[in-house]
Order: sequence, then C-alpha cells, then structure tokens
Amino acid sequence: MKSCQERSAVERSLVAVVDDDESVRESLPALLRVFGFAAHAFSSAEEFLASDRLGETRCLILDIAMPGMTGLDLQRQLRIHGHTIPIIFITAQRDEAVRARAFEQGAAGFLLKPFSDTALLAALNTALGVR
Amino acid sequence: MILPRGDEYRIEAEATTSSSEVKVELRQTSVTAADLPESVFRYALRTKECVLIHDASGQSSFSADEYVREHHARSVLCLPLLKQTRLLGVLYLENNLTPHVFIPARIAVLKLLASQAAISLENARFYRDAQQMEAYLKAAQTLSHTGSFGWRPATGEIVWSEETYQITGYDRGTKPTLELVFQRIHPEDTVFVQEALDRGTLNGTDLDFEHRLLLPDGSVKCVHIVAHAVRDESFLELTHEDYRASNWEFSTELLEGKRKQFQIEKQYWRKDGSSIWVSNNVSLVPGTKSMPRFIMALSEDITERKRAQDALHHAQMELAHATRIATIGQLSASIAHELNQPLTGIITNCSTCLRMLTGDPPNLDGARETVRRTMRDANRASEVITRLRALFSKREATAESVDLNESTREVIALSLGELQKGQVIVRTEFADDLPLVTGDRVQLQQVVLNLLLNALDAMNNVNDRPRELVIRTERWKGECVCVSVRDSGVGFEPHAVDKLFEAFYTTKHDGMGMGLSVSRSIIESHHGRLWATPNDGPGATLSFSIPCRTDTKV
Repeated sequence: MKSCQERSAVERSLVAVVDDDESVRESLPALLRVFGFAAHAFSSAEEFLASDRLGETRCLILDIAMPGMTGLDLQRQLRIHGHTIPIIFITAQRDEAVRARAFEQGAAGFLLKPFSDTALLAALNTALGVR
Repeated sequence: MILPRGDEYRIEAEATTSSSEVKVELRQTSVTAADLPESVFRYALRTKECVLIHDASGQSSFSADEYVREHHARSVLCLPLLKQTRLLGVLYLENNLTPHVFIPARIAVLKLLASQAAISLENARFYRDAQQMEAYLKAAQTLSHTGSFGWRPATGEIVWSEETYQITGYDRGTKPTLELVFQRIHPEDTVFVQEALDRGTLNGTDLDFEHRLLLPDGSVKCVHIVAHAVRDESFLELTHEDYRASNWEFSTELLEGKRKQFQIEKQYWRKDGSSIWVSNNVSLVPGTKSMPRFIMALSEDITERKRAQDALHHAQMELAHATRIATIGQLSASIAHELNQPLTGIITNCSTCLRMLTGDPPNLDGARETVRRTMRDANRASEVITRLRALFSKREATAESVDLNESTREVIALSLGELQKGQVIVRTEFADDLPLVTGDRVQLQQVVLNLLLNALDAMNNVNDRPRELVIRTERWKGECVCVSVRDSGVGFEPHAVDKLFEAFYTTKHDGMGMGLSVSRSIIESHHGRLWATPNDGPGATLSFSIPCRTDTKV
C-alpha cells in the first residue's frame, strides 16, 4: 500500500466526488486530501458536467442512486463524449445487476457503502494505474 | 285487523265502509282465502314488508290470486304491525271501487297508526296476561290457605293479598298497617313476634317463625310466617362506578321531563363479584288514575357482544400493526439508504481523523472538524431509528394534536431511498395555514406511507413519461384537512374504484393487499374519508380528509 509520500507522481491530482448526500460530500474530500489528492465535490451529475473541472479530473468517485441523472447515466455520457476518466462507484445498493452493468461500461472500481479508507485507497491505486 | 292466536292467524275485527257509515264487526275467525288475498297476506307475513297494489285488476305479482280475481279488489294495502322486528299482527286494507287510493301521504298516516296500534296491542296483551296471572295466583292462595304480604319497614307500607285479608279477618278495602297486624296477634305472642321482626329488619335476614292470631270472635289461628328479606338496592349500587354519574344524570332528566327516554350501555356488578355488560332502554311511563307513574327499563345482556367487539378491536390493532411491519419491509431500500449515508460519513471522517492525528505533525484542527462531522452524522442516523421505532411499535391508538405537514415530511424523508431508486420526482404543495388535527400520528403516517408506496408502484413500469409524485395538503372549509397523493402511473378504471379498497386485492406478486383497506379503516376511525380519483392526465390521485375539530374523539 503506497502512502502519500511515495505517490508523488499523482500527488495533487484532482479527484472529483459526485454524490447527492451531504455527509459524503463533506467527509470524502477531507480523506482524499489526507491521501495527498486535490478534491472537489459536486451534488449532482449535471453539476459536474456543467463545471469547468471536467478536463483536469484524474479520477471520479461516483454515487449511483441520485435524482435526475444517475451514476450509470453519467458513466455512459462520459464514454459517448470520449472522456476516459476512471470511475470508482460508491453505492449502498447491493444489486448484482447494477454492479455487472457498471463494470461492463468500464468502471475501474465498485465499493459498497460504508467502505473503509484502505479499500478506497486500493481502488484509487487501481484506477490510477499505480501498483 | 289480523292477530296471531297460538299457531294460526285470526281476523279479530273487520271494519267496512259504505256511503253513509262505518261498520265494525268483531269477527274472531281464522283467516281464509275468502277473506283476503292469501298470497298477499303470506307475503307480508314472510317478508314483514308492506305490500301495496295500486290496481289489483291490472297486472301485478299477485294477479293470479283467487281472491284478487273474484272480488275485483282495486287498491290493496297489507301492513305488518311490527314492534322492532317482531310481527304482532297484520292490517289489511282494500278498496274495491277506486285504484291508487293508497297514496304515500295516506300510507304514512297508516304506518304511524299501525305502529301505535302495535304498541297498544302489546300493552293490552301484557295487561291481560298480568290479570290472568293474578287470577291464578289468587286461586292458588285460596286453595292452599296461604296469604302473602309485602312489607317495607322503612316506610311502614304493607301490601296484602286477598287470602291474607281472609286470614286476618279484615275487610278487603282496609289499608293494612303494622298496628292492625299487631291487633290480631295473640297477646302472649306479641313480644316474640316484635323481636323476630326487629331481628329480621336489623340484620336484613329472612323471617321464619310461627305464632298465633286472636280474632275478634275469640277464635285462635296458628300461622307460619316465612318471608324473604330484600335489600333495597338502588340500581346505582348495582351499576359499575364508571357509569353511575351519566346514568344518574339521564334518569334525573327523565323524571324532570327533559327527556322522553334514553339508552345506555353500562356494566352491572353481579352478586358473585363478576360483571356483565347491558344495554338499557329506559323510559318514563306516565301515571294513570289507578297507577302512579314509573320508570321502565328494558335491559339486554350484551356481554357476549361486548366481548366480540373487544376481540374485533384487538384484531384490528394487530392487523394495523402487521401491515405497518409489512410496509416497513417494503422500505428496506429506504432504510438502508437512510442509514448508510451517515454511516459512510462516520467511517470516512474517523479514518481521516486517525490519519490526521498520526501525521507528522498531527493536524489537530482538521481532526476536530472530522469529529464534529462524525457527531452530526451519528445524530442523523439516530433520528432515522427514532422515526422507524415509532412505526414498529405495537400500540393502542392515541389521540394527540398532529401537524400533517410535519408528519408527511417525515414520511417522505423515510421513503427517499425508494423514491430515488424508483427515479421519481417528488413535489410537495403544503398549505401554510394547515390546522392541526386530533388523531394518532403514527397511524396517519402509516396511511401517508401506504399512499406514497402505492403511487410508487403505480409508476414502476412507466418509461414514456416522467415519474411525478405530487403530495398536497390543503385546508378545506367545513373545518377539515385534506392530504392528496397524485402520481403519473398506470391509473385505474373508474368503475373499478371500489376494488382498490377491498381487503386482499393486490396487483403486486408479493403484495399483501391490505394497505388501502387498512388505510381506509384508519381514516374512518378518525372520522374522515379516503377516496381515489383518476387524473385528467395519466395516473391517479388518492386523497383523505380528516376533520380538525379539537373535540373529535378517536
């Protein structure tokens, strides 16, 4: 498991968090910063798409069940428009069909809430290709 | 006028009118086909319903009847005389000159007279039976040389039967007094008798002793006195404490003429300490020249009925509870969602905290922030549990002031997970000035939840239009509050609306089908209404209204 210091190559990479839940939007970026990333949270997929941070986002941590555009919808949208941002899904739903579809559509990770910090770090490492 | 006599029916009296007079004849003969249309008579007897034929010469259900064919009856009316549901007799009226004489106004008068006649007939029968009983009793006493007496020590009132006058040798018209009694007692026995009577009245015990009588002509009779002491119980003493006050109030109003009669359901204590439930119909019978007025109470033992009612109530509570539990099962996605979010926050914040504290140098400010966020998330989770606990509890319905806006918001919060999963857009239109209602908050929330989940199901397979849920609260004039849940789902056929509310009706493969039926009972127990209307566009709206008077009892 790489710590902050060893990962200087991807330090300060921007990780975007998209989740309609306030608790997640407030807690996750703080942890990501401790990991050594830059982090920004969005309350909806629409907000993320409309922002100017899309281009510099190196990894996307994405909730699935959201009102309006869901996480899977956003994943499809990004592919259609040629974006290759690795996506780590976070969800409370234990639905096998959803998980399968996420990976079919190219997800880099899939975590069930609540997840541990080590699980998140491992998923981030996988997503960013750092072994 | 036809009355029952034993096993058969007899025409007691017949009145015939001609142009100049009304002739009344006491017939007292059995009913035959020559007297009236038997089919009409039998029908009225069987159904206890009034039979009216406007024109018997025309076509009717009874045209085949022999009497109708031969006697050329035109207007026919057969009126059963009913006391509650008991048939006391039948009044048969016929006009063979003109059809359609029994117009509604005349029938109304006849029905009124008939009911009065029924009461009079009953009373006459009671009176006649009572007289007959008295005659038998008198004969029995004479034969056995037994006289009876009644004595109220408190007032000195004494009542003697015929035979007692005979034994004591007093004239039939004499008013019995204790003094007159002692005048007949043999001088040597007076002290003994006085003591025996004193003992009896003091202890409320029965009397059983022998003494001698000395009559004016010098003859001596030996008598055996047997008497049963009756404790003068006021009906109030028999009545269960909870009902005494209202019972007394009604009785007083009866005596003061403020009421003609009243009906009361109450409990009596029995001698063995157990209690029974009764339904009493109490009325004041006005006095006549020969009899002072008295209160008559008809008492019906409804203990069994009350037991059944209690069992039903208990079953209803159990059912409401069971449907609540089942509904909560349907909320599993919501519950998981509602609890997972704060839990995720807590775990993430704590992980962050640990890393911050073990950093070099430790980030104390950051750590403090994480702790604050953890606290807040923990409270969020706790609130969800509290809301759920209320729904899970098995409890008797309570009556409290309920703010339907607030309660509905809570229900929506609980169902957020379901709503999101179902991709439903929720809109609320809450009235600002919504008055409070009196009722059971948890039960009302159960109803709102049921309507919400039903709306969700209705939109489950809708893909060609947005899934929209509008929840509205309004204040209606006439002092009531209305809550409606409108969906854009599959809707229902207007003629099938009643089926929706039937118990066990469900379109879901795993549904219990109790939701709307139980919801309706809950609303009705709040003196309100629950109904469904198809929308102008797609979907349906389910609404309920509840009065918001504060004196409403649940």
